[in-house]
Amino acid sequence: MKLEIGKFFVKKITFGPKTEYADGVLSIDKDAALAKVMEDEHITAAELHIVNPGDLVRLVPVKDAYEMRCRVAGAKGIYPGVTSPLESAAHGRIHALKDASLLVVGKHWGSFQDGILDMGGPFQRNTIYGAMRNLVLIADTDEEFERHEQQKTNHALRWAGFRLSEYIGECLRDLKPEELESWELDALNRRSADVQKLPSVVYVLQPQTQMEVPGFNTLVYGWNANHMLPTYMHPNEILGGAVVSGSFMPCSSKISTFEHCNNPTIKSLLKAHGKTLNFLGVIMSNLNVVMEQKVRMAVMVAQMASSLGADGAIVAEEGYGNPDVDYIQVLVELEKVGVKTVGISNECTGRDGKSQPLVALDAAATALISTGNVSQMYTLQPMPLVLGELEALARDGLSGGWEGCVKADGSAVLENNAMFCSDHPSGFSVKRCFDF
Amino acid sequence: MAKEIERSGLPITIMCNLTNIAKTVGSNRIVPTFSVPYPLGNPQASPEEEWAMRKHRVEVAVDALQTPITEQTVFAVKK
Amino acid sequence: MKKAILYLNQFFGQIGGEDKADFEPTLEDKPVGSAGIFNGIAKNVKIEQTLICGDNFMASHTDEAIAQCLKLLEGRKFDIFIAGPAFNAGRYGNACGQICKAVQEKFKVPAITSMNEENPGVEMFKREIYIFQGGNRATAIKQDMAAMAAFADKIASGAPLLPAAMEGYFPRGIRHEVFLEDLGMEPVMACDRAVEMLLLKLKGDGYLTELPIPKQDLVPIAPAVQDIRKIKIALVTSGGIVPKDNPDRIESASATKWGKYSIAGLDKLTAPEFKTIHAGYDPEQADKNPNVVEPLDAIRALQKEGRLGEVDDYFYTTVGTGTTQGEAARMGREIAAELKDRGVEAVILTAT
Repeated sequence: MKLEIGKFFVKKITFGPKTEYADGVLSIDKDAALAKVMEDEHITAAELHIVNPGDLVRLVPVKDAYEMRCRVAGAKGIYPGVTSPLESAAHGRIHALKDASLLVVGKHWGSFQDGILDMGGPFQRNTIYGAMRNLVLIADTDEEFERHEQQKTNHALRWAGFRLSEYIGECLRDLKPEELESWELDALNRRSADVQKLPSVVYVLQPQTQMEVPGFNTLVYGWNANHMLPTYMHPNEILGGAVVSGSFMPCSSKISTFEHCNNPTIKSLLKAHGKTLNFLGVIMSNLNVVMEQKVRMAVMVAQMASSLGADGAIVAEEGYGNPDVDYIQVLVELEKVGVKTVGISNECTGRDGKSQPLVALDAAATALISTGNVSQMYTLQPMPLVLGELEALARDGLSGGWEGCVKADGSAVLENNAMFCSDHPSGFSVKRCFDF
Repeated sequence: MAKEIERSGLPITIMCNLTNIAKTVGSNRIVPTFSVPYPLGNPQASPEEEWAMRKHRVEVAVDALQTPITEQTVFAVKK
Repeated sequence: MKKAILYLNQFFGQIGGEDKADFEPTLEDKPVGSAGIFNGIAKNVKIEQTLICGDNFMASHTDEAIAQCLKLLEGRKFDIFIAGPAFNAGRYGNACGQICKAVQEKFKVPAITSMNEENPGVEMFKREIYIFQGGNRATAIKQDMAAMAAFADKIASGAPLLPAAMEGYFPRGIRHEVFLEDLGMEPVMACDRAVEMLLLKLKGDGYLTELPIPKQDLVPIAPAVQDIRKIKIALVTSGGIVPKDNPDRIESASATKWGKYSIAGLDKLTAPEFKTIHAGYDPEQADKNPNVVEPLDAIRALQKEGRLGEVDDYFYTTVGTGTTQGEAARMGREIAAELKDRGVEAVILTAT
């Protein structure tokens, strides 16, 4: 199971006659790219923009972020089971544009899981995408059935993102990567004694899967992860595109499709493998609605970790509130079977900072990493350019926005909850909560 | 919220699915419900079964208000 | 230059020892005692007056002592209030806590004191005011006063305040997010902090959790109802059930509002007259039949069977997703007050 990722570092994105990449410059044939987007008859309007770090541009409602990549060996495409044939994502070679992403933004309409993203100004640093060169797709759809719903599947736009990120990535197919990273793990029972004597660690991921209606949840190989029991995965499968983001998570808690493909916790564990720890792999879990489901999931995760021989586990939760129960339950069950845990999640301490940080707590959760406060209040000054529609933040029920939170002058007050992926439970967060 | 109501001296039964949350936040009389989105419903069951379940659990909640307790208690319900 | 007022007990206020502990409050129009240390350090704020009160007087006549103190302060212009340091002196700690809390509430100025961690005043008042971690005995007076002076100076200058542990006061139960770089810390990503913490935990070595689990706050169990048929009960829900036009515009997440709506004469909650606005769960079933969240139909059935007495003519509702504890507590208190006004004696609350 060896996965190679060839990296191409983008220094500039521009529109040109042909979609190609050379010497750090990504040139995009706008017409061809938009044709790829319009393959779905439900897309009624689409335009492309380029935004760079420091630009005084605000994007809202942002639906998802993608790495522009192609698969040159192994499976046939970059999202197996979603837009590509169903094959293992764990091996082969991917070519990917680095320091860049594709952002998909609603032209008008937002939903609970969508967020706001500033490319410049004081909030540029609140999300990793503020430091990247981004291709931005602004589009509208004819999905009338959910037009005025707070919960939208955002199917046409999210799938446009899958297609477009692969279309752009295809220009890298025959190029020689500027850098090549290679991820490989020996089978658990074939590891050298040197590795075996290191502490063994699993990564438990709890992506957001709490919607009972189809079309909203995180997908694993295209499968609705709500309908899944915890399962053992190779870290390469996730880096290789087996997991794509859903459309139901409060936005600052969201793990975007880009972040699944670049999960930094997985990369940290792979890098530490053989040096300070023995990385056993990933237990892909989920988040559930009913108490019984939560307990079932937790005991199964603990059993798996224990049988794999884990000494320790890092558990990450995508969401806050109700899913904190799943998160704490898994930490408790793991500790019960002797697996030492560290959790990664955000907190929701309220606008005054005085609320209980997680809705469920347990004394067994002795080592927690905090990635931010969902309910931190921020005031955003007007931006010279807004791509999408700012009013969506107030009108469409975005997490962290509310009626009247957008002012006529283009400024807004909001909770961090509305900032696109800003708590990065995938592991990118460089903020945390402190006691005051 | 429930805690503040109880702090005012009113006995209160919390009917919820996530009994762990109720316990964490310090509720005292807790009756488990069927699920989060439909605490007292069950779309998989027949209307008669669903009604019986709802009525039963509300009865347990009513009884809980009349039951002296000395610690946080999750009252048992029929499956 | 901002102004501060300092509170001292009879001993540090140079009135006298234990024999003067019943000394009633007085306001000196000059810096007394350790105020000199403070004024030697702070550049943006100066102590110009000193409030002095005997520890016993404050302890045994608290309300009167506080009232006298507040009266003495009335009309005085000051921006910051300092008390102590109180070291590990129990009565003095109590006095500093009481007066700081009262002054902060009345005059809306930050209040700062200092106590040793063993001082019972810390547990009593740390959520309300800034209590700096001070020494055990009066020999620490210089450093304890210096710590308060530096912090008061910072508040006066308008500079951003750091987390409790970095400033040196006891955490007040308030948590906010901060970028590590803003604290001059290495901006280590959460993933690397997690791996490092796990390796330390596996070694059994010291690590510091970023989210300490707070102690559980239990509420006394309300006594059971004698006979439910003879009292009035009320229905409350955090499941977001409202009349279809959501007349009070209750937010569908992070709610700050609650509503009460009439159920007088209704056998059940019908759709579409009632629906849910809760954004935290799939609304399909609740919108089809709101009784799956607020079981009015079952309640009425029990009433008909004679197993329940009166049910309040209103049900009380809000949304429990993303709603902060502070807001939930406030709404709970408001609803409780309303229920008591209406003669309700027991409550059934459904949560989603």
